[in-house]
Amino acid sequence: MDTSQYLGIFLDEAREHIQSLSDQMMILEQEPENQDAISEIFRAAHSLKGMAGTMGYKKLQHLTHVTEDCFSDIRSGSMKVTSELMDVLFQALDSIEGYVNTIQETTDEGDEENENIINEINRIRSAETGKGDAPAPAKEEKKADEAPAEAAPADGASDEKALYRSMKLDDSAKDVMKDAIAGGKHALGFTVYIEESCLLKAARAFLVIKALEDMGDIVATDPSTQDIEDEKFEFNFSLYTICDEEIDKAREAMLAVSEIAEVVGEEFTEAGIDSIGGDAGKAEEKAEAPTEGSREEAEAPVAKEETTAPVVKEETAPAAKAPAAKQAPAAKKPVISKTIRVDIDKLDSLMNLVSELIIAKNTIVSAADSSDTQNQALNEQVEYLESVTTNLHEAVMKVRMVPIESAVQKFPRMVRDLEKKLDKKMQLTITGEETELDRTVVDEIGDPLMHLIRNSADHGLEHPDERAASGKPEMGTIFLNAFQDGNSVVIEVGDDGKGIDVEAVRSKIVERGLASEDTAAQFTDKEVIDYLFDPGFSMAKKVTDISGRGVGLDVVKSNIESLGGDVSVKTKLGEGSTWIIRLPLTLAIIQALMVIIGDEKYAISLDSITTIENIPTTDVKLVQGKEVIQLRGTVIPIVRLSELLGFPPAEEQPEDMIVVIAKKGDSLAGLVVDELIGQQEIVIKSLGKYINTDRIISGATILGDGEVALIIDANALI
Amino acid sequence: MDDLERYVEDKATQYIVVNLGIEHYGIDINYIDNIVRVPAIRRVPNVQDFFKGVINLRGEVIPVMSLRVKFGMPEIDFTNSTRIIIVKVDPQAAIGIIVDEVEQVMDIYASQIEKVSAEKKEESNGYITSVGKTDRGLVSILNLATVIGEKEQI
Repeated sequence: MDTSQYLGIFLDEAREHIQSLSDQMMILEQEPENQDAISEIFRAAHSLKGMAGTMGYKKLQHLTHVTEDCFSDIRSGSMKVTSELMDVLFQALDSIEGYVNTIQETTDEGDEENENIINEINRIRSAETGKGDAPAPAKEEKKADEAPAEAAPADGASDEKALYRSMKLDDSAKDVMKDAIAGGKHALGFTVYIEESCLLKAARAFLVIKALEDMGDIVATDPSTQDIEDEKFEFNFSLYTICDEEIDKAREAMLAVSEIAEVVGEEFTEAGIDSIGGDAGKAEEKAEAPTEGSREEAEAPVAKEETTAPVVKEETAPAAKAPAAKQAPAAKKPVISKTIRVDIDKLDSLMNLVSELIIAKNTIVSAADSSDTQNQALNEQVEYLESVTTNLHEAVMKVRMVPIESAVQKFPRMVRDLEKKLDKKMQLTITGEETELDRTVVDEIGDPLMHLIRNSADHGLEHPDERAASGKPEMGTIFLNAFQDGNSVVIEVGDDGKGIDVEAVRSKIVERGLASEDTAAQFTDKEVIDYLFDPGFSMAKKVTDISGRGVGLDVVKSNIESLGGDVSVKTKLGEGSTWIIRLPLTLAIIQALMVIIGDEKYAISLDSITTIENIPTTDVKLVQGKEVIQLRGTVIPIVRLSELLGFPPAEEQPEDMIVVIAKKGDSLAGLVVDELIGQQEIVIKSLGKYINTDRIISGATILGDGEVALIIDANALI
Repeated sequence: MDDLERYVEDKATQYIVVNLGIEHYGIDINYIDNIVRVPAIRRVPNVQDFFKGVINLRGEVIPVMSLRVKFGMPEIDFTNSTRIIIVKVDPQAAIGIIVDEVEQVMDIYASQIEKVSAEKKEESNGYITSVGKTDRGLVSILNLATVIGEKEQI
C-alpha cells in the first residue's frame, strides 16, 4: 500500500497525539490518580501506535506499544505512577517525537532502536507488576472493577454515565412505554458505551440494536437510528426499549456484541417514565406523581439553585443536562467537528488578494471624492464597497487567527525539565492560551517566549533554600498571561524570583566600558535595564547551557520587533520581574492616520495614537535641552517630524502646531505634523531588505491615487 | 550561420547592455524582471544616498537605487531615455536600478569575456566581475549581488 499521500496527515495527527500525551502526562505526574488523564493518554498512545503500524513505521510502533502497555498497567492500577517511571516515559515520548521528526525530514523513521528506553520501561514494569510483556491479568482486574458498576447501575456512582435519563422522549413514546408496562412487558433504558478503539462503531451499534429487537421493540434512540447508521455519534448512544425479557438478559445480549465496553441501564416504572428527560440525576425519586406536573417538579430544584439568574423553563433543561454531559467522557468533543485543514500558503494568497482589493477600493474612493459631479448613487455604493472590504478583511484575518496555545503548550514540559536540571522548585501557570493571533505571529513567537521563560527559570527564580530564607514559598512561580488589549495582544512572562538588580547591571555597564561611571550613574533605571537588550550583554555570572551566553534578550527583542511588536520589562528587586510583549493583532492591514509632513504624505498607525492636539507654538518649553509641552498636567516631549525626516526648518513658526500624541506603554510623545489628511485603511508593504531605513520608517503603503506613502513607526520615536 | 555555430559551441549568455554616460554595463538577463520608465519616486528619508526612494510598480513597493551615485559618478537629471531596470536576485525581493539608457540585448560569448584582474576588482569595489569585448566596444559585466546586496551604514 502506498502510504506516502497520507504522510502529511500522519505527521499532523502524530504531533497532535504527542502533544496530547505530553499534556496529559504532565497532569498525571501531578495527579497520579487522574483517570481522565490516563484514559486520554491511553487513547492517544493507542491511536499513535495504530497510525504508525498503518504507515509501516515498525520501530515507532514498537516503542509506542511498549509505552501503551505501561499506561495500560497504570490504568488498571497494577502499576503506580512514580517519578522514576514518568522520567522514562517522558524520555520515551521524546524518542517518539524524534521518530516523527526524522520521518518528517526523510520520510523514514531512521535506525535508532531506543532499546535502552524500551528495556528500562520493561524493567520498571516487571519490577512493579512482576510481568514483562503480557498485560493479561490487568485486563481481568479491569473487568472486575467494572463489574460492580454494572451490577448496580441505578447507584449514584454511575449516574453520570446513565445518559439515557437526560434523553428527550416525546409523549407518544412515553405512552407506548406505559402501555407496554401495563401489558406486562419491561420498559428499559440503556446507554451503551463502545470501546474507543472500535473502528466499526456503526456496525457494533447495529448489532446491539438488533439484539434488542429480537427481544422486543426499540422505542427511541439518541442519536437517531439514522445517525447511528451513519456513525454520527461518539462512543456511546442511548436508547429505550420495550422488552419481553428481564433487564439482565437484555444487558447480557448487548454485552455479547464484541467491542462493547459497558452498558448502563435500568428498568422504568410507569411513574419513572414521566421523569425521563428531566433532571438527569435523581429522576426516580422525584417522579412520584404520574402527571404532567412531575416534569416541572423534577426541574424545579435546578431552577432554585440558580436563583441569581432568572431562569426560564426552556433554559432549565439544558442547564440540568450540562453537568451530566460534562462528566460523560464522550461529550468532551463536539459530535461532528466542522473544520478543515488549509495550507497556510493559500491563506497568504487570499490575504494578498484582499490587500490588493483594498488598494483598488482606496483608488475608487479617492476617484469618487475628487470627481466634480457629486453623484449620490456612486457615493453610496462606494461607502458600501468600503464596508464590504473592511468586513472581508476582518473575516480573512479571523481565518488566519489561531490561539497562541500551539506556541505555549510545550512550555509546561520545558519547565518540568528545567526544574530537574536547575534543581529548583518551580511551577508554570499559563492563562489566556486561547488568545488569538495571526498564524504567522504565533509561529514566530514561540522562541522569544521560550527565551524569556528559560531566563526566568535560570536568572529569576532563586534556589529553594534562598527563597525560604527570604520568606517566599519554596516553589517558585513562572507565569505567562496572554490577553487582548485593544488592537494588540499582550503577553506577559514573569516570575516571583529575585528581580533585576539594577545597580548590578549599572556596574556591569561600567565594567564593560559601555558607559563611563559618571554617565552610568545618571541613567534612569529604565535606561539601565534597556542595556539588557543589547547584543552580547549578559548578566549571568557563569554560562550555563540554559542561558547566560548573552544571546537571548537581544534576539527576543529583534524577533518581537520584526513582528511589529515591542517588549518591555517591569521589575522589583526581591519580588520578581515581568516581561511585557505587545504584538499587533494583524500584520498586513491597519487603520492609519494620514498626515502631511513637509510636502510628503505619511501614515501613522492609529493604534499608537491617543489624541490629536492643537498647541500654540508659544507653549513649547525647554526641559534639559529637550522640547516639551504640558498637556492636562502631563509633560510630554515633542518630536518635530519634519526635522527628523530631513526637511529644512520652516522659515517662520506658525501660531499653532498640530501635535499627534502617541503612546507606547506608559510613555507619551507628541509628534508635530504639518497637516492632517484623515483616517484610512492601509496595506503595509515592506521596503525590502536592501534599503536601510532608520527605525522611524517601518514600511510603505500605496494610496488610492497610486502614490506611495511611508509609514512612521511612532513606537520608535518614544 | 557563423553566429549560430558559435552559439552552439561557444556558450553565450544574454545581457541587457545599459549606458551610464559613455560607459556600457551588462546585466545578466536572467535576473531582470522588467524595464520601466521612471515613475514618481517617493523619497525615503535617512537612507543610503544611492537609494533614490521607492516606487509603486503595479501595487508593489520597490526600492530604487541610482547606479550613478553607487559608482560615484555625478548625478544627472532624468531624461526621456532614463530607465529603471527591475532586478530580482532574490525572487522575494525586487529592486530597481536607475540607468541613463538601455542600449540593447546582446549575446556575449564565453570566449569574449575576460575576467578582470584582482586590482581592477578592488578598484571597482567588486561591482564588475568581468569585461566583455564586443563589436560595440567594452561592456563591463555587473556583479549584481555586490551592486545591490551591500548594506552600507548611513
